[in-house]
Amino acid sequence: MKHGKYRFLAMAILPALALHVIFVLSPYAQAFYLSLTDWTGVAGQANFVGLDNFARLGEDPLFLSALGNNALMLIVVPLATIAIALFLASMLNLGGRRGRAEVQGVAGGKVYKIVYFFPQLLSVPIIAVLWQFVYSPNNGLLNGFLSAVGLDGLARTWLADGSVALWAVMAVMVWSAVGFYVVLFSAAMDSIPRELFEAARLDGAGRLATFRSITLPLVRDNVNAAFVYLGIAALDGFALVQILSVGPGGPDGATEVIGLGLYRNAFSFGQFGYASAMGVALFFLTLTLAVIAMRSGRRTKVEMA
Amino acid sequence: MAEVAYVNASRVYPGSPPVRAVDELKLDVADGEFLVLVGPSGSGKSTALRMLAGLEDVDEGAIEIGGKDVTNVPPKGRDIAMVFQSYALYPHMTVGENMGFALKLRGVSKPDIKAKVAEAAKMLDLEKYLDRKPKALSGGQRQRVAMGRAIVREPSVFLMDEPLSNLDAKLRVETRANIAALQRRLGTTTIYVTHDQVEAMTMGHRVAVLKDGLLQQCDTPRALYETPANAFVAAFIGSPGMNLKTVPLTAAGAQLDGLEVPLPRTTLDKVGADGLKEVTFGVRPESLGLVGAGEDGMELTVELVEELGADAYVYGSVRIADQPERFIVRVDGRTPPALGQTVRVGLRDHSEIHLFNPETGARIEG
Repeated sequence: MKHGKYRFLAMAILPALALHVIFVLSPYAQAFYLSLTDWTGVAGQANFVGLDNFARLGEDPLFLSALGNNALMLIVVPLATIAIALFLASMLNLGGRRGRAEVQGVAGGKVYKIVYFFPQLLSVPIIAVLWQFVYSPNNGLLNGFLSAVGLDGLARTWLADGSVALWAVMAVMVWSAVGFYVVLFSAAMDSIPRELFEAARLDGAGRLATFRSITLPLVRDNVNAAFVYLGIAALDGFALVQILSVGPGGPDGATEVIGLGLYRNAFSFGQFGYASAMGVALFFLTLTLAVIAMRSGRRTKVEMA
Repeated sequence: MAEVAYVNASRVYPGSPPVRAVDELKLDVADGEFLVLVGPSGSGKSTALRMLAGLEDVDEGAIEIGGKDVTNVPPKGRDIAMVFQSYALYPHMTVGENMGFALKLRGVSKPDIKAKVAEAAKMLDLEKYLDRKPKALSGGQRQRVAMGRAIVREPSVFLMDEPLSNLDAKLRVETRANIAALQRRLGTTTIYVTHDQVEAMTMGHRVAVLKDGLLQQCDTPRALYETPANAFVAAFIGSPGMNLKTVPLTAAGAQLDGLEVPLPRTTLDKVGADGLKEVTFGVRPESLGLVGAGEDGMELTVELVEELGADAYVYGSVRIADQPERFIVRVDGRTPPALGQTVRVGLRDHSEIHLFNPETGARIEG
């Protein structure tokens, strides 16, 4: 029976393992190998060039500005998204109507939750096209709104102004991600026993103190997970920038991201080896981020008593 | 320290028809008193407590603490501490942090918090656990932390919502005594909710019995036991419950099978004036006893004997008007009757009976 058991287990595992190796692991290995060559993507042969590609990365101004932009996105997008999502989720679950005794969310909370989730249902290209209309300088929704309320002075050519273009892109990323995290945090807050909030109220905690001392520590696991996902999304951002920004990546590299440079080098410039080096660099950046976030998450683990 | 008053306070949940979870509750609790709210599930006892805590709206009437109307005051302004059934300890804080949280919010200095927490921990034998998280504590220890969190605040009123129901039977009895002793020591007005009438009887200075949101009776445990205001209180208080039977009246008294219980003239007059042909007759198990063949009594067929050591409870049926009626009788634990045996049961004392109006359930004073 023992032999039969292992044979059965092998039969169950091997097909999936084979698919994983062929379609997931081997492309990684291939990319790692290509990053050490000068393959053009069309030539029949690839010459081994060692770490030359990586050395070039350090001198490529466009890559360095992409790295800077991604770094800024890595800080702004997760923080803004999580802050807004936490605020909305706690309003939906605990914001309560003033003057009512029970701990409860704002009226119509369920409707809001669904509405906030809408952007999640749109694919990235549609979001990008939609926001192109919003940011359009002459007849866009944003400038139109600003002039309607008499703030013409704030109107900009949002995507063509180097000083605000990246912020405009990040705003779209936050807008499209917030809904999902509102739902995620709502579910987490929902699972906190109501009595804890009641006990906090009896202990004299106001809304802010309750949020800081009770709600936030008890959804910390979810916040950590959100940081990992949003961090990965912020290091990518390729699809949105490719469609939304002028250039793309412009003006003058203002919205350049690593993924965009990778795509351009591989498919426009025929430098697959160099593009692979970018991919490998991005891989290690993402991995480091994930490890750091997971590590810091493990320490603060809270178990419900 | 403060007295508490419910002034015709009601909690009405909207619906059709609206549910009156607590219906015009009128109750005064003296300063330093230990009052127990008791009733079956759905009687509104927890709702009444939560109204006092400010966790539930008061739709009609008012609630006063220390003579001040707090009906529209939020929980933090009421100076109350509550022990929840689930304890509601903050899982991410240590025992010490849990107990000191309210003081921290009040801006008390760190050394003062530490001293207060240490004092309460000593009182509750929790000193060793101050740095642990609630998860690492046993049920009894968690219960004590919840008590400690309430004590540290030095509130004017303690509220306790079934704080013992998650403990095992032995610990419950032990903790019951500890809470009562602690309350006596601190002298803080305490309102305690339970569905367990034994807890109610043993702990409270006074006990308020609720049913369907309505206050049935509020009195000392002794008085509740001896003069229940209606048939519900009579059946609810006491374990095992009182034998309550609706029996026909005769010229001289109440008629139970072969046993005719003579009633005083005044009682009979009163019943007659109300035009009642029947009366709900109640007698506690310990007021019945086994009697000899010649004495007044009724024939009881034994169906179950619960032996508790010192006493035994005999469950059996008596035929009244050709219907088998269940009776419970307390007998000496050393000589319980056997199953299936027929024994003769009589009243120990003719004054230890209770009469209720069979329609309204109200007590008929004798």
